[in-house]
Amino acid sequence: MAALLRSARLLKFSPLGLRQITGTKRTGPPLSRLYSGTLGVRRAGVLSRHNRPGVENTPSHAWPHATVCVHHFSVATEKKDEISVVVRSKQAQNFDWALSKLDSSVRRTGRITKTLLLRIFHDVCRTGYPSGNQALLLLRSCGALLPEMGLQERTELAHRIWERLQELGAQYDVSHYNALLKVYLQNEFNFSPMDFLAKMETANVQPNRVTYQRLIAAYCQNGDIEGASAILGFMKTKDLPITEAVFNALVTGHARSGDIESAKNILSVMRGAGIDPGPDTYVSLLNGYAEKGDLDSLKKTLEEAESADFSLVDRDIMQVIFTLAKAGHQQHVPEIMEHLRQDRGYIPDAMNLCLSLVTQGLDETAFTVLRTFSMLQSEDYYGDSDNLGSFFLRHCINMDTPLEKIGRYCAELQDSKMHTTPLNFVLSCALEAKKTDVSFEVMKMMQEQNLPIRPHYFWPLLTQHVKDNNVAGAMEVMKGMQKLGVTPDLETISNYVYPVFPSTEAARQAFKEAGIIVELEGLLTSKIRFLASSNLGRLYTLLSDPSHPPVDLGSFRSSLIHGFRKFDDIECMVKLTKLLYDDERFTKPGVTTAETVSYLLYNLIDGMQATEVQEQEDKLRNYFNQLKAENIIIPANIYKGIRNILESYHVPELLKDVLVLVDPADVVSSGPRVTGLEANVSALENKLAELKEENKPLSSTLKQAIQALASEECLQRALELKQKYEDQMKAGAYAILISLCCRHNNVDEALSLKREMSRKDSSAKLDAGKYMALIKLLAKSDRVEEAVDLLKEMKENDVVLNSSHSSMLFHTLNAVVYKGGGAPAIQRLQDTIFTLGLAKPTANLCAPLISVYLKSDDLPGALEAALECQKRYGQLPRIHDIIVGLVEKGDTELLQKAMDVVSQERGEMTMLYYLLFAFLQTGRYREARKIIETPGLRARPGRLQWYAEKCILTQQMEPLEQMVDMTSKLFECDRDEMYSYIFRLCKETNNWQKAEATWTKMQEENVIPRERTLRLLAEVLKNNGQEVPFEVPETFLQDEQEANTPQVKTAAPSFKDTENGAQYQVRLISLCKKGKANEAFAMLKETDKRGVAVGPACYDHLIRALLAGGAIEDAMAVRDIAVSRVPGFQLSDIANSLVIVTQSKRGQAQDALETLKSMLQQDQIPSQLAITRLVQTLGSLGNLDGIKEVMSQMERLGTSLNLSNMLFINNMALAHIKKGDLESAVEMLEEVYTSSENRNSSMSFVFRKILMEENDKAVDKLSAMAERLANHFACYRPATDLFLQLLEMDKVEDAKYMLARINALAEQKESLVSYLARMSQQPGQTGKIKTLQSLIPDFVEKEVLFTYLMKSHVADNDLPSARALYQRMQEEGVVADELSLKRLAVLYRQAGEMPPFPEPPESFRFYAAKLKERAVKAQPADE
Amino acid sequence: MAAPSRKVFEVFVSKVPWTVAVKEMKEYFGQFGQVKKCLLPFDKETGFHRGFCWVSFSTEEGLNNTLQKELHVLEGSKLQVQKNRRPFGRKSNNGFD
Repeated sequence: MAALLRSARLLKFSPLGLRQITGTKRTGPPLSRLYSGTLGVRRAGVLSRHNRPGVENTPSHAWPHATVCVHHFSVATEKKDEISVVVRSKQAQNFDWALSKLDSSVRRTGRITKTLLLRIFHDVCRTGYPSGNQALLLLRSCGALLPEMGLQERTELAHRIWERLQELGAQYDVSHYNALLKVYLQNEFNFSPMDFLAKMETANVQPNRVTYQRLIAAYCQNGDIEGASAILGFMKTKDLPITEAVFNALVTGHARSGDIESAKNILSVMRGAGIDPGPDTYVSLLNGYAEKGDLDSLKKTLEEAESADFSLVDRDIMQVIFTLAKAGHQQHVPEIMEHLRQDRGYIPDAMNLCLSLVTQGLDETAFTVLRTFSMLQSEDYYGDSDNLGSFFLRHCINMDTPLEKIGRYCAELQDSKMHTTPLNFVLSCALEAKKTDVSFEVMKMMQEQNLPIRPHYFWPLLTQHVKDNNVAGAMEVMKGMQKLGVTPDLETISNYVYPVFPSTEAARQAFKEAGIIVELEGLLTSKIRFLASSNLGRLYTLLSDPSHPPVDLGSFRSSLIHGFRKFDDIECMVKLTKLLYDDERFTKPGVTTAETVSYLLYNLIDGMQATEVQEQEDKLRNYFNQLKAENIIIPANIYKGIRNILESYHVPELLKDVLVLVDPADVVSSGPRVTGLEANVSALENKLAELKEENKPLSSTLKQAIQALASEECLQRALELKQKYEDQMKAGAYAILISLCCRHNNVDEALSLKREMSRKDSSAKLDAGKYMALIKLLAKSDRVEEAVDLLKEMKENDVVLNSSHSSMLFHTLNAVVYKGGGAPAIQRLQDTIFTLGLAKPTANLCAPLISVYLKSDDLPGALEAALECQKRYGQLPRIHDIIVGLVEKGDTELLQKAMDVVSQERGEMTMLYYLLFAFLQTGRYREARKIIETPGLRARPGRLQWYAEKCILTQQMEPLEQMVDMTSKLFECDRDEMYSYIFRLCKETNNWQKAEATWTKMQEENVIPRERTLRLLAEVLKNNGQEVPFEVPETFLQDEQEANTPQVKTAAPSFKDTENGAQYQVRLISLCKKGKANEAFAMLKETDKRGVAVGPACYDHLIRALLAGGAIEDAMAVRDIAVSRVPGFQLSDIANSLVIVTQSKRGQAQDALETLKSMLQQDQIPSQLAITRLVQTLGSLGNLDGIKEVMSQMERLGTSLNLSNMLFINNMALAHIKKGDLESAVEMLEEVYTSSENRNSSMSFVFRKILMEENDKAVDKLSAMAERLANHFACYRPATDLFLQLLEMDKVEDAKYMLARINALAEQKESLVSYLARMSQQPGQTGKIKTLQSLIPDFVEKEVLFTYLMKSHVADNDLPSARALYQRMQEEGVVADELSLKRLAVLYRQAGEMPPFPEPPESFRFYAAKLKERAVKAQPADE
Repeated sequence: MAAPSRKVFEVFVSKVPWTVAVKEMKEYFGQFGQVKKCLLPFDKETGFHRGFCWVSFSTEEGLNNTLQKELHVLEGSKLQVQKNRRPFGRKSNNGFD
C-alpha cells in the first residue's frame, strides 16, 4: 500500500491523494492484473480530451467515411480460383457493407436506428463466423449512438451481442473490452470495475491506458473516489501518463460524491500538474452543478469557460441541458439554452438531444429544444426539407407518449408553421408502428379537425393480419373503420380483408355477425372468367368501371380468347380490346399495354384452328379494321409472328388488315459493311519495290512501311526509305518521321522534314502531339523564340490540345526551370500559350514560373507572380510553398496580403486551410490548433489528404501526427482515414512503436478502424517482428502480400506443449488462410488425439479450407471431430455452400440437393455459386426434376441471390437435350424468348455446351430456332449468342454463314461490345477481336474498339503491337483515354522502356472511375 | 425491336403524400383535363403507396395545362411533376415487384 501511495506523486496536491485506501475486497486477486503484465504504450504523447463520462451526444465525426466498395472495379486480370475468392472476400465485403450502412446513418443523422443495428447483427450472425472488427463495430454502436433506445435496453443489447459473437468464435482483444467499457459509461451502467478486470484476466487480455482511464471514469460515475484513486495509483506504478481525461473523470467523481468544492479544486490541481483544463473539464463541472440545479454556479462557470482560451460548443451545452432535465431542474433549461450558438451541425445534434429526452420521458423539455428549430427554418415553405419536428412526433409515438400531449405538440407545430400536416404525420407513424388503438385515436382527433379519413389509411394495419391470416385482427380493424364512419371500398376488401378468410362466403358471414355493412359484389377472377367466356357485354361493364381493382389479363386470358372465338359480338370485342390497350390495370407492371394487346391478338389467332380462321375470315377482318379505327398499334415483331401463323394457315389475305396496325416507323434496317487490311514490314518493302517497278502509286504502302519502321524505332532506315521514294512522300508519312526524330532528340532534322512537308503540300498540318514534341525540344535547347513561333503556328492551324497535351506543356515549362532558364523565358512561353488560348491556364501550368522565383529564394517575387496569375488567370500556383516561406521568414505584412487575396478569391475556408498547413509545416502547432478551432470550420477530406500525402512522401511524422490529433473534433472529419495516414508513414519508416501507440489512441477516441487500416497496422507490427495482438481480417490479396514480405516468425507446423490454446488456434487458422489445409488437418488430427479442442470458428475455417481444395472426405472428418468436441456444431453457410459446390463438381447431384435442402431447413442462405454449380450439374445429368426442385426451393427462400432466371432455363434446356428430347428444349426456349420480359436473356451457355460436345443435331435444331426467332420475332439475342459463341470457338466459317443469313446481327452493338470487353480481358484473344472486326468492321466506334484492343495487347504483354496501335490511333486522330495511356505506360515500364508520353499520374482505379462517371453523364437525363 | 410509338400524354408524379390515393389524384389532376388513367402502386408489405404515380390525360391539352402550372401542392405537400418520356414501365423491373 505504501508503495502505491509513493508512486502517486502527481497527486500530492490533491486532497484525494491522501485518502487511505483501506484493504477491501477490491484488493482481491484481480489486482494482480494491475501489477503484472507489460504495456506496449510508453507515452501517448499529446494529451487528448476526448474521453467524456456520462451522457454524451454522438460526435458526428467519429465515423470513418465509407469507402465505395471497389471489388468489382479491379483492373487486375489474373484468374483466381473462384471458390477461395468467394470465401475470402465475403467477410470483407460484409464488413464494408455494414460499416458503410452504419456510417452513412451516423454521418447523416448522428445516430443509428435500432432496426438497422439489429439487422446488421442478424446478418453478421447468419453469414458465419464474425471477425473481430465486425464485433467492434457492433459493440461500439450500443451506446450514445442509439438515442432512441433506453439506457438499460442498450446495455442489454451490448451484452447480447458480446455473448452471441463470442459463441460464434469472435476473438476479443483489448479494443473490444475498451469499447464495452465506453458503452457502459455512455449507458450509465452500474458494474463492478474489479469484476471487469477479472474478466479480462480470465480471457488473458492485457488492459492498457485507455482501459484504466475508463475504469476510473466508471468509479467516478458512482461518486466512488476511493475506487478511482486505487486505479490511479496503479497507473502511476506503471508509469502511465495521467491525461486530462482522468482529471475530468475525477471532477465528475467528486461532484457525484456530493463534494462539489473538491470537484472545482481539481481544475487548479490540473494547472499545478501542467495540464490546462479543457472544454471537457468544464463540461464535467457544469454537469456537477446541473445535477444540483445550482443555476448561479452554472452561469458563473459558463462565463469562466467562455473567457478561457477556448469556447464550449453546442454539443457541450446540450449535455448540460440533458443533465438538468434528467435531474428534474427543467425550469433552468431555457436559460442555459441561450448559450447555444446554433453552429453548423446544430440540427442533428439537437435532434439527438430531443430523442434522448423523449426516450427518458422528458418530452416537454425536448419540445422546448425543438422550438429553437423554427428560427433555422428554410425560406421555402414547401421546400424539400422535412417538415420540422417529424422526428420528434415519430419518437413520441414509438415511446407511447400520452396522446393528449402529442395533440398539443401538433397544434403548436402547426400554429407556428413549423409543420404543415402534423396530425397526418402522427397517424402515419402510428400506422407504421402498427399501433391499432393509437391509430384509431389519432383518426378521431383528425375527424375533430375536419380532416378526411380515407379507406387506404387502414391498409397498413391490415397487412400484418393478411400475412398472419388473422381473422380476429382484421375484423377488429373493420369494426374500427365502421366506428369512424368509413366505408371500406372494393380494394380494401379484396386486397386486405378477403385474403384473411378461407372464402368470400366466410368473410361475408363474419361481416354479418359483426354487424359490418359491406356493399360489394364478390369481384374475384372467377367472375371475370365466367363473364369472359359467356357475356362480353357484362364483362366490359364490369371492367370499364374505374373503381375496378387491377386484374392481370393473364388470369383470364384463355377465357377471354374462348369468348372471342365465338365472334358473336365484334363490337364488345373491340371495346374490350381498346380497354385493355388504354388501361394499365390489366397489364403486368413492366409490360406495355400495347404488348399485352398484341400478344392477345397473337394468342387469339394461334389458338384458332386453320379451318376456323378461314371460316371467320370476314369477322376477323371486321375486328382488325375496327381496331385500326380505334388507333390500336402493335409492334412489328409481333406482327411478324402473326404473319407466320396466317401464312401457315393459308389466309394471307388477312395480312394487310393486320399490317395496318403496325406503326410505320417501326422498321428494321441493316447497315453497310467494309473490309480491313493488315500490314507487315518486310512484305511491305517487297511490295514497294514491286509497285515501283510497275510504276504504280505507292504512297500509302510507303507510309505503312515507314510506320512499321518507326514502331521499331529505326530512324536511319526510315530516313533512307524516305530518300528513296521522296517523290511519293505524303504528309502522313512526314508526320510519322517527324515524331520519330523528336523521340531521337534530333530537332534540326525534324524541322527540316517539316519544311519539306509544307513545301510539298501547303495544306498539310501536324497534330498537337508532334507540335508539342518539337516545342519541348526547342525550349529545352534555349530556342525560346522558335518555340514561340511554333506555338503561334499551332494557333493558326487550329490545332486542338487535350489534357495530356497540356501536361506535356507543363513538362516543357518545368524542363526549362531545371535547365536554369530565367523567369522571362518561362513568362514568354506561358503568356504565349495562354494568350493564344492553346491551353486553359491551370495552377499546374502556372507553377513553373513560381518555381523559378522560389528556386532563387525570392519570396516577394514569387508572391507577386502568383497574385498576377490570380488576377489574369484565376489561379494561385504553389501558394502553399509561398505561404510556408512567408511564415518561416515571419513576414507578416506579405503574409497578410497573401491571406487577404486567398480569402477574397477562394473563400475564408480555403485560406484557413492554407494557413493551417503552413503552420503545421513550420512546426507552429499552437497556431495551427487555433485555426482548427475556428467556429464553422469543417473537414475538407481532399485538402487533409493532400497534406497527409505530402507528409508521408517526405516522411514527416510530427506535423502529420499533430494534424491527426488536432482534427479529432473537426466537423465531419474521417477519423479512420486520418489515423491510416499515420500507419502508412509508420510502415514506410518501420516505426512499430508509433503504430502501436496510435492504435491505443484510436481506442481512446472510440474510432473503429476499417479492415484496411487494421491490416496496415498488422503489417507494420509483423514486418518488425512484433506479435499482432488482434485478429487480422482476411483478405483475398493476402497470398501475394505474404509472398512479397519475408515472414518474420515462421511457426513449425506442430503443436508445442507450451503453446496455449489461443495461439494454437491462430496458427491453425493462419495455415488455412495460406492454403495449407492439409498441414492444418494433420496438425488437428494429431492434437485431437491428445484431447485438445479448439473453438467452432477454427473448425469451420479448416472445413472451408479443405473444401476449397475439394477434399470433402477430410472436411467431413473434421466436422465429425467438431461435433464430438462442440455440441451442436454446424457447418456455416459458406462451408455448406462449398460442400454443394464440391459435390456438384463430382457429379453427386443427389447428395448436393440433399445438402441444399438441409441448409434451407436451418435457415441458411446458400451462395450463388453453389446454386449455379448444382443446377449446371443437374442439367448435364439430364435431371429435369432436380432443377425444378431447386427452382421451387429458391422461390421459397424469399431473398433473391441475384440468380439469373436463365440459369434454370438454360440448364433445363440442356437437361432436355441430354435426354435427347430436342423438341421440348426448343419449345421451352422459344416460349422464353417470345415472352416480352426475357427477350434479352443470354443462352450462350447452352450453345457453348452443345458446341463443345459437338452435338450436331442439337446445334442444327437450336440454330434453326435462333434464326426463326430473329427473322419472325425480331428477337436477336439467341442468334447473337450463337454467333459470338462460334467466333469464340474459332468456327469463323460458320459464323460468317450465320451473319450472311441474319444481317441484323451486325447491329447488336450491346452484345458485340460486351463480347469485345470480355475477350480483351484474357490474354491471347487479340485474334478473336480482329476476326470480329473483319467480319463486321464498323460495329462500334473506333475509340471503343481501340481501347479494348489496347487492353488486349496489354493482357498479352505485347508491347510492339500496343505501340503500333498507339501510333495508329494518333494517326487516325483517335484520342486515347487516360486509362489506355496508363495501361500502355505500365507496359512500357515493365519492358524497361520510357513511354513516349507523360504517364497519367493517378491510379488505374481513378481513371476507371473517371471514365465510368463520364459514361454516366453522357446518358440522357431521363434514363 | 423498336418501341411502339404512340402519342401518350403522361406525367410522372413523385413526392405524393401518403394521405392521398388514386381517387384524390384523379380529382386533383382532373382540373387540368380529363384523366384517362392513374397508376399509384401500393406496397402490399407495408400498406402504404410508394410515393410516386403516373397520370395520363386523354388530350395533349391536359398534359400541357399540368406542365404549365409551376407549383403543384396537394394536402400540404409539393408534388414533383414531370413529363413522362417513356410510356408506363417500358423496361421490366422498374421498381414494382
